[in-house]
Amino acid sequence: MTEANTVDATLRALLADVLGLGEARAAALTEDSGLFGELPEFDSMAVATVLTEMEDRLGILIDDDEVDGEIFETYGNLLAFSLRKVTD
Amino acid sequence: MSEHRLRIDPAGTPRATVLIVPPLFEEANRTRRTLVLAMRALAAEGFAAMLPDLPGQNESLVPLEQIDLARWQDALAEVAAGIDGPTLVASVRGGVLIDHQVKAAAWWRLAPVGGVSLLRTLMRARVSADREAGLTSSLESLQEEAKAQPLLVAGNRLSPEMVAQLGTSEAQAVEPLRNVGLGADGIAGTPLWLRAEPGEDAAMAKAIAADISAWSTTCGIS
Repeated sequence: MTEANTVDATLRALLADVLGLGEARAAALTEDSGLFGELPEFDSMAVATVLTEMEDRLGILIDDDEVDGEIFETYGNLLAFSLRKVTD
Repeated sequence: MSEHRLRIDPAGTPRATVLIVPPLFEEANRTRRTLVLAMRALAAEGFAAMLPDLPGQNESLVPLEQIDLARWQDALAEVAAGIDGPTLVASVRGGVLIDHQVKAAAWWRLAPVGGVSLLRTLMRARVSADREAGLTSSLESLQEEAKAQPLLVAGNRLSPEMVAQLGTSEAQAVEPLRNVGLGADGIAGTPLWLRAEPGEDAAMAKAIAADISAWSTTCGIS
């Protein structure tokens, strides 16, 4: 498995855990799938939980000023942000 | 004031009492249903199971802003002191930060988490909510604010002492201890404590009860 695939799988599992999506819905997320504002479960507490779990599971540190509304707009944005952090 | 304690008794004399130390803050609500199902399963295996309210949590009348981790540690030790027969402590997530003052025959900890991680998530929820409201805050500004006055994070008003203690709190060594996580080597289930909307998992509850029961036997408690 390439690193990108690993990050993608980790991120889907994490969203499934936090949002209770179930494996099928998590697997069906595409680059354009909307997250914050689109999924009713995705509130500010869920955003916070996702960030902390990303740090734990991807072994990264995320600063406040890196987090803006944009990265949670779509699954593609969140994946791109994660890949950037992992390869930093 | 004594806090509410949910207690489920087995038929006949209990093998031992399992004292459940719940996760902290919102994670307690997300896991409560499944933990109570685990308590029922424990009772079916001959254990008494007790889930006490921590002061400032659940049905407690004490304002959370008067509470810190030290107070929770004392409260649990007091609850345990009133239990007849052997006690086995079963702590989940942040519960592991407050379970070491209890006099117990054994400890069992599920998915332990450090205080820093819990605090970080709570503060981030506040930063995220502030951002939606057009306000600017940061983890640093909230840390600063929390030094002098209670800090409202994700619906919890945390005292300066609570914030300071969470910032350095780790699970303390206890003996004998079984640390267990989720997955093939541990409990089969999903991390319900992370779930945005509370769920329940009956199979996971059964697995929790079976694991605690086996650990009790290993420790020679019953």
